[in-house]
Amino acid sequence: MIEVAGLRVVFPPAVTAVDGVDLVVRSGEFVVILGRSGSGKTTFLRALNRLVEPTAGRVRVAGRAVTGAGGSELRAARRQIGMIFQQFNLVRRASVLDNVLAGRLGYVPSWPSVVGRFPENDRAIARECLDRVGLGHLADRRADTLSGGEQQRVAIARALAQAPAVVLADEPTASLDPALTADIMGALKAINARGLTLMVSQHQLETALAYATRIVGFRRGRVAFDGPPAAVTPAVADAIYGERG
Amino acid sequence: MRHPASIPRRAAVFVALLVLAWTAWDTGADPVRLARGVPWIADFLRRMLPPDLEVLPATIVGAVKTVEIALLGTAVAAVLALPLGFVSARNVAPAALYHPARTVLNVFRSVDTLVYALIFVAAVGLGAFPGVLAVVAYTTTSLAKLYSEAIEGIEPGPVDAITATGATRLQVLRYGVLPQVLPLFLSYVLYRLETNIRAATVLGFVGAGGIGFYLQTYLRMIDYRAASTALLVTVVMVMLVDGISSRVRARLV
Repeated sequence: MIEVAGLRVVFPPAVTAVDGVDLVVRSGEFVVILGRSGSGKTTFLRALNRLVEPTAGRVRVAGRAVTGAGGSELRAARRQIGMIFQQFNLVRRASVLDNVLAGRLGYVPSWPSVVGRFPENDRAIARECLDRVGLGHLADRRADTLSGGEQQRVAIARALAQAPAVVLADEPTASLDPALTADIMGALKAINARGLTLMVSQHQLETALAYATRIVGFRRGRVAFDGPPAAVTPAVADAIYGERG
Repeated sequence: MRHPASIPRRAAVFVALLVLAWTAWDTGADPVRLARGVPWIADFLRRMLPPDLEVLPATIVGAVKTVEIALLGTAVAAVLALPLGFVSARNVAPAALYHPARTVLNVFRSVDTLVYALIFVAAVGLGAFPGVLAVVAYTTTSLAKLYSEAIEGIEPGPVDAITATGATRLQVLRYGVLPQVLPLFLSYVLYRLETNIRAATVLGFVGAGGIGFYLQTYLRMIDYRAASTALLVTVVMVMLVDGISSRVRARLV
């Protein structure tokens, strides 16, 4: 479902954030990427839909080449990759429903959407996705009037509105308190249970082990561990988080 | 304690004082001359009173025309400045567009509305229309500059999020950028409207219509009482527009 080969991201002048990652994720997996801050997790996820341009390597998602794709091909590839961010990244002044509707932008005709027109079918999909995260009653509220946990659920609904094959989540709970962490991770797990492939970065080990079907440990831009949660021993945790090495 | 930079700083202050002293000498700035002129100013003010209310209807017509010039000019400029603002913003425009656009803005902005009025009066003749054109010429570029700065100050997060949905560049501008900057844009337009009302009061001096035409005519005819009426009407007009506009602006942000 996600195929990554030899992925490198170097920021000018010479900061290597991702240093040669090979990874194949099968359909339906719930992959949690573990690592300290600065280990390259965020850059890796952002390179998968080319919000960050890879320096070298290949990425394919759901059978479509992401790397090397030109304008409309890239957009078609991005459309099937939902993305959830640490800071939610909602458009604050827009309504909750309009934020979810933005998930349909890759499907609707460009010019009508620029003047605010969306086909009725796309509006129905957006409402349905908002209902799925339990926030249908807040559709008309301004996004920035919602709590942090609610905003992140709106962001999840926006990703679902893309009808994605894969959802990437970059530290989706780092801005939330522990109770909301369980709430958001539970919502992601529910999405995964319906067959979507998930790749979520986390810096909290316990949270990762509780939800993942597979753990990938990042250290200095490389994969330091790859295996099931049960295989994460103290020695493995040390290899990912430890000061040594 | 002596700061290491204190010697260059003293030198800079000394040079600045030297430059100011020279400008005072070169412009013939002379307090004694000003003091000798005070009685003349007093005489001038005395001859302005009482205001000649017979010209009140005419000056109000002029003031309304001034407001019209500023309103129409600002509205047209607010729209024309939109594409120019986007291509002048470093974070959304391609570098190939950004640099020429910035240069155009800086060149056109360095010329004042009144100078544009002189040019447009020569081009299309006397009246309010060249005034409108002058306001458009100056305001378009000055608003574009303000727009572009607002665009450069947006949060990148929502833009990333919209880009990640597979949206086109145009859709990203519409849904990721525009909602963040629109309230700022409106507030800049109102602010420009306020300054344009003031700028438009003197456009009549060069034949570009409005209250300035009346003011200048009365001064030329040495009819100071009529001129004072025109001045009073100007003050009331500016205060009215400022009051309304700043009240609307306060509700925007």
